[in-house]
Amino acid sequence: MTAMTDVCLRRPLQRPSDAAIALTGVGKTFLPSGSEVVALTDIDLTVGDGEFVAIVGSSGCGKSTLLRLIAGLMPVSTGRVEVKGHRVSGPDPGVGIVFQTPVLLPWRTVRRNIELQLDVRRLGRSQHGKEVDRLIALTGLAGFENSMPYELSGGMQQRVALCRALIHNPDLLLMDEPFGALDALTREQMNAELQRIWMETRKTVVFITHSIMEAAFLADRVVVMTPRPGKIREIVPIDLPRPRTFETFRNPVFHEACDRIRSLMSASGLME
Amino acid sequence: MRNAIYPALTAVILVGAWYLAVLFFEVPRYLLPLPGEVVTRLIEDRDFLLRHGWVTTYETLGGFALSIVIGIPLALLIVSSSTIDRALMPWIVLSQTFPKIALAPLIVVWFGLGLVPKLIVTFLVAFFPILISTIVGLRSMERDMDELRLSMRASVWQTFWYFRLPLALPSLFAGLKVSVAFAAVGAVIAEWVGANEGLGYLLLTANANLDTPLLFAVLVLLMVLGMVLYHAIEMLERLLIPWHATIRLKTGQPSF
Ligand SMILES: Nc1ncnc2c1ncn2[C@@H]1O[C@H](COP(=O)(O)OP(=O)(O)O)[C@@H](O)[C@H]1O
Ligand SMILES: [Mg+2]
Repeated sequence: MTAMTDVCLRRPLQRPSDAAIALTGVGKTFLPSGSEVVALTDIDLTVGDGEFVAIVGSSGCGKSTLLRLIAGLMPVSTGRVEVKGHRVSGPDPGVGIVFQTPVLLPWRTVRRNIELQLDVRRLGRSQHGKEVDRLIALTGLAGFENSMPYELSGGMQQRVALCRALIHNPDLLLMDEPFGALDALTREQMNAELQRIWMETRKTVVFITHSIMEAAFLADRVVVMTPRPGKIREIVPIDLPRPRTFETFRNPVFHEACDRIRSLMSASGLME
Repeated sequence: MRNAIYPALTAVILVGAWYLAVLFFEVPRYLLPLPGEVVTRLIEDRDFLLRHGWVTTYETLGGFALSIVIGIPLALLIVSSSTIDRALMPWIVLSQTFPKIALAPLIVVWFGLGLVPKLIVTFLVAFFPILISTIVGLRSMERDMDELRLSMRASVWQTFWYFRLPLALPSLFAGLKVSVAFAAVGAVIAEWVGANEGLGYLLLTANANLDTPLLFAVLVLLMVLGMVLYHAIEMLERLLIPWHATIRLKTGQPSF
């Protein structure tokens, strides 16, 4: 309920300029082989400029689909998606995406993989040389510029993917379970670093995960989704100061938030 | 270079066994000559052998080149248009389940004894591996990468140049290696059906004269031809796609 009132109260106040993302009545239906699959229905969500929003939900509840709709990688079936006040009708130049796998090109060095974004968008490698250096330093890749992807660990590869998603200076950073394939320790480290990078760059971030802790640690608000059909069950605000540290894991507010998210997720599990 | 020791050792053992077998079992020389006799023949008839060897070499290379020039663009067409894919693929597959060698006599009837029928037969045998491996390679882009290039708004040309083409190269090279071996087979068979020069032609004449040392000498040349072509492609592969996993595994450090 709080989620609904939250959204309803906010929407009239939102102007295109202060909402980075606005989803209204968004639904997505697939027709894989005759039979309909309703992946998403009635999604209303606004994400403020510079906000960090995490989306959690069990596997198959439409998280990736939602991200693809925001990214303009596929059209909505119903409703509308707006990014920076403009209706999304295709891949937006102001969006950077990090996928679950790093998807690096094995024939390009770290630096050239980051520059791929510049090459394809015809942004001029030489003008952005300093920016590449800055991102490499920011993500702790210094010294690995000329390494090949296969020489890097999974965590390092994902850092390269993050640089590539940021090099064209997008307003919006979309991340689909980016650390899901990493071991627990690397994952915690990457979370801390992502927070630091976010605080320095102040991008609007939509971060998909199925880890409740990760969502609560990183996000300003956590969107809890329920499956079949994919819906927003509730939006849980995380009122914890930044930067969040390992101390945060002992904070009662953090635990309350995690418990709340967990109960929302398991309640939807019982409903099935 | 140390890697060459092992196959060389195998060769020494095999040739030694051959030598001993001929002596021990008293095999008639017209069935199995001694290794030395084959070597003598290779040296004595070297000009003659090289002349015929050269004929087979350019037939093989010509048919192989034709396979590349037709196979790769055809693969591109099939991958880029589902209409062409559906119209052509069933026929191409059918043409491959059919024994292409059986067409060789017909091709000789149509085109005579010159170079053209040799190139056609070689092409028929060699082009399919290139076509299929190029198609498989060009289609080997995974969903995440497809979405990456979509999100970057890559044009059709950029998608091909930055993503699909490099991704296709490992598969393409696998196809080229199979194809070049097939091409040599195709050239020899084309010569069997109708020719007055080439290693295949020499095999037939040597056979008719029960000249087994010559037979073996020709086989050695065919082996050398196949090896040289295969390794030439492998070198090119190393040069063009050093990042490719199978090569990396071979040159990489052992993990324990
Ligand atoms: N391209 C597609 N075609 C058909 N069905 C799809 C497609 N993409 C996703 N789906 C279906 O939509 C639902 C949600 O998928 P997805 O968004 O990948 O979930 P999540 O990322 O939360 O695991 C699943 O039932 C899935 O099978
Ligand atoms: Mg997913």
